[in-house]
Amino acid sequence: MNKLFPLFLLIISFADFDVKQNQFIARQGQVSFFSYTSVENIEAKNNQVLSLLDIDKKEIAISMLMRAFVFKKDLMYEHFNESYIESDLYPKANFIGKIIAFDTSTKETQTRIVRGKLTIHGITKETDIKTAIKKTDENYNVSGNFDISIKDFQIKVPPILSSNIAKTISIKFTFQYQPYEE
Amino acid sequence: MKNIKIILSIIIILLLLTCGYYFIVPMFTTSEKNLQYKTATLNVSSKDLIRAYTLNEQKSNHLYAGKIIEVTGFIKEISFLNSRNTIILNSNAETFGVICDLNPNEKEKIKLLKKHQKIRVKGICKGFLKDVILLNCTIDLIPNE
Repeated sequence: MNKLFPLFLLIISFADFDVKQNQFIARQGQVSFFSYTSVENIEAKNNQVLSLLDIDKKEIAISMLMRAFVFKKDLMYEHFNESYIESDLYPKANFIGKIIAFDTSTKETQTRIVRGKLTIHGITKETDIKTAIKKTDENYNVSGNFDISIKDFQIKVPPILSSNIAKTISIKFTFQYQPYEE
Repeated sequence: MKNIKIILSIIIILLLLTCGYYFIVPMFTTSEKNLQYKTATLNVSSKDLIRAYTLNEQKSNHLYAGKIIEVTGFIKEISFLNSRNTIILNSNAETFGVICDLNPNEKEKIKLLKKHQKIRVKGICKGFLKDVILLNCTIDLIPNE
């Protein structure tokens, strides 16, 4: 019996019990935002958004560098970072949320609400984001869109430019997740 | 009197034109300027860059963020996700890398690249999330060393 026990342990340590992958990562997630006004339409894209998806905890965490948003015009980029978002003070925007009623077994696309805290410009706000989640063999694709109000995040627009920036900004996102081992 | 008026109006027009050139035209130019002919402020290896950021993010941002830097490293992955041309450079750790989003002008050069090839990338460093992020990059194919 004494001899069998260490042998048993040895065998167990080699056995791979098909550990289910429950952490996924997207390093090149895309987040774009749109501001539509009668004076000017502004659009920017960030293609280096980081996101972690935890299947067990049913949580999504997203982090992005504000300076990585690309605009069509240099001046827009400068205004965005220097005046509106103040990237020196608040370089990143985050979101952490729980997927409500997430079905981890199905491969069908499911539309779910992700409820969590969105932090932009140093201000955190409880936000519900409608998301489409699709599971492919090894990966997950998550996409969706939602609107934010610039007032909620204390983004101040000078009166001269107030007709150039919309009060409500539309945000679109898409993430392609791959298995993640820490 | 008439002559002075004409000269004055010409001067004013010239002034307006120069103002226009320096202030108004930049408002409408694109951000995707080709960095090929600009000199980099710093030259660093992908391993050192990532190590610097993992040790002290704030200090590294001070050193690199917003600046044009040249990073030398081995190609970990070439990606065309979301219609972008991206190269990810290696580091010591398996999980971290340097994400280099390429300027559209470099599309032809990508076809010449292979995994594990050593290249030099010049781009604007934006910061660090889990990888260092470089935008508007141009590629320098290093001749065989």
